[in-house]
Amino acid sequence: MGSPLEITAAPARDGLLLRTRRWMAGCPILVGAGIAWLLAMLAIALSVDLIAPYPYAQIDLRARLAPPAFLGGDLRHVLGTDELGRDVMSRLFYSIRMSLLVALLGTAIGAVIGTLLGFVAAHFRGWVDDAVMVMVDFQASMPFMIIALSVLAFFGNSLPLFIALMGLFGWERYARLVRGMTLSAGEHGYAVAVRQLGASPWRVYGRHILPNIASALIVNVTLNFPEHIILETGLSFLGLGVQPPLTSLGNMVGHGREYLQSAWWIAVFPGVAIVLTTLSMSLVGDWLRDRLDPTLR
Amino acid sequence: MIRFFASKLLRAFATILFVVTFAFLVLRVSGDPALLIMGAEAPPDAIAAFRAAWGLDEPLWRQYLSYFAAIANGDLGYSMRDRRPALGLVLDRLPDTLRLMLPALAVKILIGVPAGIYAALHRDTWIDRTTMAFSVLGYSVPNFVLGLMLVLLFAVNLRWLPSGGAETWLHTILPIVVLGTAGAGILARFTRSTMLEILGQPYIRTATAKGVPWFRVVSWHALPNAAIPTVTVIGFMIGSLIAGAVVTESVFSWPGIGRQLVVAVANRDVAVVQVILLFVAGSMVVSNLAVDFLYGWLDPRVRTTRGKEG
Repeated sequence: MGSPLEITAAPARDGLLLRTRRWMAGCPILVGAGIAWLLAMLAIALSVDLIAPYPYAQIDLRARLAPPAFLGGDLRHVLGTDELGRDVMSRLFYSIRMSLLVALLGTAIGAVIGTLLGFVAAHFRGWVDDAVMVMVDFQASMPFMIIALSVLAFFGNSLPLFIALMGLFGWERYARLVRGMTLSAGEHGYAVAVRQLGASPWRVYGRHILPNIASALIVNVTLNFPEHIILETGLSFLGLGVQPPLTSLGNMVGHGREYLQSAWWIAVFPGVAIVLTTLSMSLVGDWLRDRLDPTLR
Repeated sequence: MIRFFASKLLRAFATILFVVTFAFLVLRVSGDPALLIMGAEAPPDAIAAFRAAWGLDEPLWRQYLSYFAAIANGDLGYSMRDRRPALGLVLDRLPDTLRLMLPALAVKILIGVPAGIYAALHRDTWIDRTTMAFSVLGYSVPNFVLGLMLVLLFAVNLRWLPSGGAETWLHTILPIVVLGTAGAGILARFTRSTMLEILGQPYIRTATAKGVPWFRVVSWHALPNAAIPTVTVIGFMIGSLIAGAVVTESVFSWPGIGRQLVVAVANRDVAVVQVILLFVAGSMVVSNLAVDFLYGWLDPRVRTTRGKEG
């Protein structure tokens, strides 16, 4: 004998593909294109070791500043080469991986820290809450670019530190959001009921409140991610982010800037990749927001 | 009323305190400036002399206190690179940064706010869509990419404008366009959504229903209410003028504070970085305070409810 709960859950669920298609119905062409672009970026990032024509640091001094193939260049270097004869397409692919990796990790760290602190603030209230909110206010009132630059000036730079720094960007928004929604969810019957039944705080927050506020968090992630890309590429453009010999999209633009006159392709291709990625994510994020959380519109 | 302002002032003071402490801690935790500046191969007595000269050999709490005392006296240390007072170095650059940032701010406000209001009032027309498309671009296109594309177009190919430097007013055009358009897009989007929210409020419906002309509904009932959140965003923009200059000044080799900050970070010239950090914090705090006080003036509820609480 099944319990009534199981009976209501009984109707067979449609296949994943069908459900995805139904959920995506009415999705504007631009958003679809954005999703396609992001998937392509992800595919490049995951398979770069297989698809990149050359290692990203391989120098070919005989083929310096070769133009892209469609401008009469050699087919061996489809997007041309830079001043050391390094293949722009290979560097672009590796840069995409680095930029996506840093931005994804940064976004994830920020989301986790912010969400946890939001729960902590809402759970303990009192001075803990005050302390968290003071930090939130501090971070929200300082442009993060300045905080990042100060930390880099004082600590120097390394990839783990840089990623950790990126993780500090944007946590305050999750904290504020989660705290607010948790406080109001705490008033709702379901949270009170679960707590009365003796559930541990971990269970209450993780299994009951988190799923209820997840859509707002996802929207925040999609809006936060492009900002991470812009911050990382901006810092790398300034020469203060990802350090050579590693390469990110920002490094390529900053580096190609010196050759804008003679070899524009070094800077333009990564620049276009940055813009299309942030643009796609913003479009998808806006659409998701309207889709998931009409109240935020 | 006084209580409201006092609490805001206290908060501003706390933020500054926080920044100073942050700067101090980060500065002292980050490693030995003596080794950084002199290099690991420097003779030990030279390093010791450097430490004594900068007060690095004292206990941490003494350094913290003397740090505060020094800041209170306006003594913000010397550039570790060229030995000039860091404060003076930064102040020298301020006019150049303002020469860029103030016109950019004007562009943002003069384009962004009207565009946002217009888009909200003409929702779902092509003008609204175009405005929103531009604002999404403003969010998504990083300043350095936009800047380089404009350089490529107007400086390298068309040769109409210089690509960098600060000699003539022609040099200001591209940076102002870059800074202004991105900010205008953000402001337009924000103004639009605020206006839309206000226009959906019951009091707007009431005013319309009782026969108030639409123009008066907008100018008398909607705009003042929409002004409050918009002023907040503008306040943040004013406070972050210097921060916003960092990337754009670097793109156009503009000799302002933003460029100075990047160079100082690359050289790890900590004293200069610290002055700029305090500068930015100060400008953020002052503009936040100004916004708070403006709130009290724009929205009587802010003062009265806080007054009742107190």
